[in-house]
Amino acid sequence: MLSPEIGNFCLILALTTSAAQIILPTLGLLRADARLSHTAEGLQVISSIAMFISFASLIYAFMVSDFSVQLVASHSHSLKPMIYKITGSWGNHEGSLLLWIVILGLFGLLFVIREERARLKTLTLIVMGGITLSFLAFSLFTSNAFARLSPAPIDGRGLNPVLQDIGLALHPPMLYLGYVGLSVAFAIAIAGLLTGQVDKNWARITRFWVALAWSALTAGIALGSWWAYYELGWGGWWFWDPVENASLMPWLAATALLHSVIVVERREQMVSWTILMAITAFSLSLVGTFIVRSGLLTSVHSFASDPARGIFILFILLGAVGLPLFLYGLRAGRLGRASDYHLFSRETGLILNNYILVVSTFIVLIGTFYPLGLELFTGAKITVGAPYFDAAFNPVMGIGILFMAIGPLLVWRRGLVVSARPAIYLSAGGVLSAIILLLVLSGISVAGIAGIALTLWLGLSIIGDLVFRLRPWQAGMGQRLRLPATQWGMWLAHFGMVIFLTGALASSLFENENIVRVQKGAKIALGAETLIFDGVEARTGPNYVTETALLRLFDKDGRLIDGLYPEKRFYPAERQSTTEAAIRTRLSGDHYAVLGDGDSDTGYTLRLYHKPLVSWIWFGAVMMACGGLIALYRRLNTASPLVEGK
Amino acid sequence: MARSVTHFLPLILFAILAVIAAIALMMTLSGERKISELPSALVGKPVPVTELPSLIDAQAFVTIDGTRDAPYMVNFFASWCAPCRAEAPALAILAKEIDIIGIAYKDKPEDSQKFLADFGNPYSQVGMDNAGRAGLDWGVYGVPETYIISADGIVLKRHAGPIDGDNLHKIFLPFIASLKAQQEKR
Repeated sequence: MLSPEIGNFCLILALTTSAAQIILPTLGLLRADARLSHTAEGLQVISSIAMFISFASLIYAFMVSDFSVQLVASHSHSLKPMIYKITGSWGNHEGSLLLWIVILGLFGLLFVIREERARLKTLTLIVMGGITLSFLAFSLFTSNAFARLSPAPIDGRGLNPVLQDIGLALHPPMLYLGYVGLSVAFAIAIAGLLTGQVDKNWARITRFWVALAWSALTAGIALGSWWAYYELGWGGWWFWDPVENASLMPWLAATALLHSVIVVERREQMVSWTILMAITAFSLSLVGTFIVRSGLLTSVHSFASDPARGIFILFILLGAVGLPLFLYGLRAGRLGRASDYHLFSRETGLILNNYILVVSTFIVLIGTFYPLGLELFTGAKITVGAPYFDAAFNPVMGIGILFMAIGPLLVWRRGLVVSARPAIYLSAGGVLSAIILLLVLSGISVAGIAGIALTLWLGLSIIGDLVFRLRPWQAGMGQRLRLPATQWGMWLAHFGMVIFLTGALASSLFENENIVRVQKGAKIALGAETLIFDGVEARTGPNYVTETALLRLFDKDGRLIDGLYPEKRFYPAERQSTTEAAIRTRLSGDHYAVLGDGDSDTGYTLRLYHKPLVSWIWFGAVMMACGGLIALYRRLNTASPLVEGK
Repeated sequence: MARSVTHFLPLILFAILAVIAAIALMMTLSGERKISELPSALVGKPVPVTELPSLIDAQAFVTIDGTRDAPYMVNFFASWCAPCRAEAPALAILAKEIDIIGIAYKDKPEDSQKFLADFGNPYSQVGMDNAGRAGLDWGVYGVPETYIISADGIVLKRHAGPIDGDNLHKIFLPFIASLKAQQEKR
């Protein structure tokens, strides 16, 4: 059967196989022995399969509740629903590390299958073998998932109701798909540095993996934010917590990479920069993976951290970041061609895009690590929170959005495309009139107006670009609809940004919040709407009892819209209580109610919010992820004359 | 040549960051690095009402709220946390002055029990926060972390990191003394 020993054995097998995956092909390349260097592919397949079996045996141990495995005993329970038994296998440090490794194996396998045999492929597989080896060693030597427990307990201890949540269960795999996908781009970048041939072909291969990883990372971050929104009951969706920042930094760097690799593919320029971005994006994913496990920075989201692991992690980082950067320093000067583009060209737009994204990555990096540095040098303890990021990150992003609207309208090499002029004039006109209207009519802050204006500017420019390229008023639009998939992907992803910004702005600028302590029968105003509190009722669920607040929601004309029933749940078997916010989600906005403490004598505390358009935040993120996926499908070099601008 | 030097800039930057991280890690390992007072959004606000299963009495609950007769202290700890051992003597002294409620943060119950048996139990009650849910509500930065709370449930002080001899005598004991003086005035 799939016993834990088999799982452990397979991990060791994968470890030795990936060691061989480094040594044999390297010898093959040095001796110009093609057969030896092609062993890289077979070895990758073997180690991938070994990793799959290993992970399967861990999931199996969770499914059958084998409490002789320490990890199962401390994180599962025989009474858990099956789905959460399975997802519970990666809801802890050891298991999530194994998930990371398995995804690494999956990407390795996909890479072997998809790419054509070449020196670049062999070198990439050698680098991937190195990454796999380090992670397997980390897992086996410091965080073994298969450690046995003797005697085995009768039941496990992990029946935490809060963690039995599908959003929380899907968040890590999605995020890891992104992190690990960036490792492929990283490996190809190193291979490119070694071969010295970073050309259109290199970029075509890299772009596929970057776009895939970027889409998964986008979806993963959105899932995490969504979970925090509906489960934590704080009403917020982003807290600038170190762990959240750790996932945002690789996203920003990957976004820069996604754009710069296009320049390499089209023009073979920005070559060394693109390599640097690939190294940076993966390094930041490593930081993201490890930041919660090292004991270096602590966060509310962290796994129980152990500084002893930190040393091992630091060594992995030295190898995975230090060595490539050294190689980069040696080789980067010899790559690429001299620039030959006009000041107002697509290239300039994409360079601006990259600079802005890198600056914003730095801002997040500084905000995340500044407390650590300050503490070391002065002993002072601070936490850096939303005020810093609002002041530093948002303006830079604002400038980014300003250019994000113009960049796609520019033509490669030559300058501003004439046909795009109407789109720009139209957007500018729309934005100016909106600014004037807002200044005159509303009491919104200047920063708020700037945000609205930028969102409008971006949205109008995308629509303008779309309309003036397709020109539906002229005959033969069918011909013009046949744009490359990348073009549609870009429009979708950029428009996803518009939707995201709309949600983020509306939910913060026009939010209504009311925190009250009330008795039964009270009327509570929430913006234009009114709520009536009909008291608290005891209810029973399948394995819990609740205190449920009964709230009726009325619109401004006094018509009943809906009921809201926030709960405080108590699980007698586990002796735990949880808070369940009542969220009424509509496209136009969410009503959000949380029941606080209280009793019928002194009244109950209720926290009520109305957040307009808040769900657009996640819609936008999904659109971005889909845009990235669409762009995978057609290669950029099937150039359409429309993309060239004429 | 100048061009190739700029290509080493990323490496230099990384080296600086790595050295900082290494020093921080070494200091954390040796127990030299301490996380002490942190500004907290909670200070001056009502305590997040927390109900946790008791570590000591399997049938009972530990409730933290604003319905007490005297100010009290809440201390997040864990058996896996080395600095928590370091602050055990200070907590023992404080326990004579003020009621202390312990919260075992992300810990196994048997480990917490062994920890209390080994290093002494300064707590009147101990709640189990296995999942770190309470820690999330409180915005715990890392264990150990200590809060002083007024009788009516307002967070008066937050201290992240172990209480050592220095801040025991300079911060905690004077603060508790002043609280008692205030209470007697009323």
